[in-house]
Amino acid sequence: MPHEAVTQARSRIPGVPADGADMSRVEISGRRRLMHPGLVAAGSTLLIATFASDFLYWQTLLFQWNNVSEWLLATGLILAALAAIAFVIDLVLKRVERIAWLRFAGLTVAALLGLLNAFVHSRDAYTAVVPEGIILSAIVAIILLVVGVSGGWSLASRRAFPTLQARDIRP
Amino acid sequence: MIHNVLTAALLSASVLTLAACNEQAADPSSQYGANPTLPEPHQYLLPPMKVLPARGWNAQEKPVVAAGLQVEAYGTGFQHPRIVYPLANGDVLVVESNGPKAPVYRPKDFIQGKIKALSGSGAPGGNRISLLRDQDGDGVAETRSVLIDHLNSPYGIVLVGNDLYVAATDELLRFPYTPGATQITEPGVRVTELPAQSPNHHWTKALAASPDGSKLYVGVGSNSNIVENGIGAEEGRAMIWEVDRATGMKRTYASGTRNPTGFDFEPSSGKLWAIVNERDEIGPDLVPDYLTAVKENAFYGWPYSYWGQHVDVRAQPQRPELVAKAIRPDYALGSHVAPLGMVFNQSSSLPAQYRGGVFIGEHGSWDRDPPVGYKVVYVPFSDGRPSGPPQDVVTGFISDDGKTRGRPVGVAIDRTGALLVADDVGNTVWRVTGVAAAASR
Repeated sequence: MPHEAVTQARSRIPGVPADGADMSRVEISGRRRLMHPGLVAAGSTLLIATFASDFLYWQTLLFQWNNVSEWLLATGLILAALAAIAFVIDLVLKRVERIAWLRFAGLTVAALLGLLNAFVHSRDAYTAVVPEGIILSAIVAIILLVVGVSGGWSLASRRAFPTLQARDIRP
Repeated sequence: MIHNVLTAALLSASVLTLAACNEQAADPSSQYGANPTLPEPHQYLLPPMKVLPARGWNAQEKPVVAAGLQVEAYGTGFQHPRIVYPLANGDVLVVESNGPKAPVYRPKDFIQGKIKALSGSGAPGGNRISLLRDQDGDGVAETRSVLIDHLNSPYGIVLVGNDLYVAATDELLRFPYTPGATQITEPGVRVTELPAQSPNHHWTKALAASPDGSKLYVGVGSNSNIVENGIGAEEGRAMIWEVDRATGMKRTYASGTRNPTGFDFEPSSGKLWAIVNERDEIGPDLVPDYLTAVKENAFYGWPYSYWGQHVDVRAQPQRPELVAKAIRPDYALGSHVAPLGMVFNQSSSLPAQYRGGVFIGEHGSWDRDPPVGYKVVYVPFSDGRPSGPPQDVVTGFISDDGKTRGRPVGVAIDRTGALLVADDVGNTVWRVTGVAAAASR
């Protein structure tokens, strides 16, 4: 595995070819086999969009934005549940070498707050969104954006890079 | 940073959880009469549902009646009977009906619909009016026919002269009736359209005629609990309409009445009284359903406020000018009891204590623990005003294992002075008589 990681690290450096083309191909297809990142991305998109529709409801008081939020939230949570299952499968099949615990914590908290928010959003009319609902959807959106920007939707750790890169300097 | 967000999130989560837990239902009797105790409103995480599954009546089972009364099944095997309407010749009409299929606008509609269906409220209605005849006067109807079939969720009916008015969910119809008829084949004539726009949440249209027969009063319920379907869906709703019988012209008689489900005229004053179902999901003791004399052109608060000037923050944008003019109803029946039928009693065949006041059929709660309603009560009147707390008249609709044998809806006084009660889960019409009256028969 360190070899694969080295290959991966190297191949990402522009102009530096990966040593061992076969290994590289194995590595790429191996990374593609992760099931959870796509589902995490899709679910996160809907949960972030929930904040947008909550904001529109708050500003316009048009009830349909309130309903839109409920569906975004519900669908986002279903995708989050599927992502969790996919992540367990990725773990069981040993596709994930190490878990990125901080991002894992971020996504878990976001999903739990999203679940709480679904109950808040089950209220009728204004109090489904204002104030608790939109506060929760804002917190969830911020967490998800931070997680997404800080390293994508995979929960597989890449923290091995610095040491490997150090090793990589060797001729 | 993540840590701070986490802490903030957990804090707000625990605050919300705490807010959801500290609700304790009060004694329902604290909410009877003109000055009910009103606690602070709650906002829930989980709608507080307490649905009693429908079971029906076993053979030999009957409702329990107050001392001096007895009860028998007048007719059984109906399809969701809602309203009973005795005619002058002794025949009894039974409106068998249920609401149109409710569309799913939100995930909540789907889940709540499934849970409420356990209570039997989703059972298919006959969408027809049956005629019952007790030829031999033994208190049980032997013959039955379908007077009018294929109606669209009918509810209120009233006979004025030879015109039988039927309030379907989307139109007020007039049928020609001849005394003794057991079937009407002529199509109904539309008197006026009634609001039934989607999702048609409170679909029932209560109906009464003024004592002189010149005006009809139609109770049109709101299209939501608390305008969660937008104020546009409430056009013409949550109000009592007055329809001119001769011309079909209509106007708003009173508004802000969330779901007016029954009417009757108080005999001594001749005034119109109504029962109204108030809003849900802000607490086990909010908001009391009520009985009130209907003041012409008055505004009763829904959706902006309840019981006078208690503002409901869920209805936005707010309308302070409407809140300011909202009037308080006359008499609280208790929160969530769901009054669906009312009739003033002038009969002398029931015990004297039941004369002059009003019988009310309480369908029972779905969002209160412990449940309330599920009984017929009597509110005594003197000088045309309520003069005491509601008294239990017909109970026993809930079995010992917490299921419903039946749920009372419409009530009426028949030609002999007996009390008739429609039971839409037990699919029965019950007939309550005085013990002495029955013995002397």
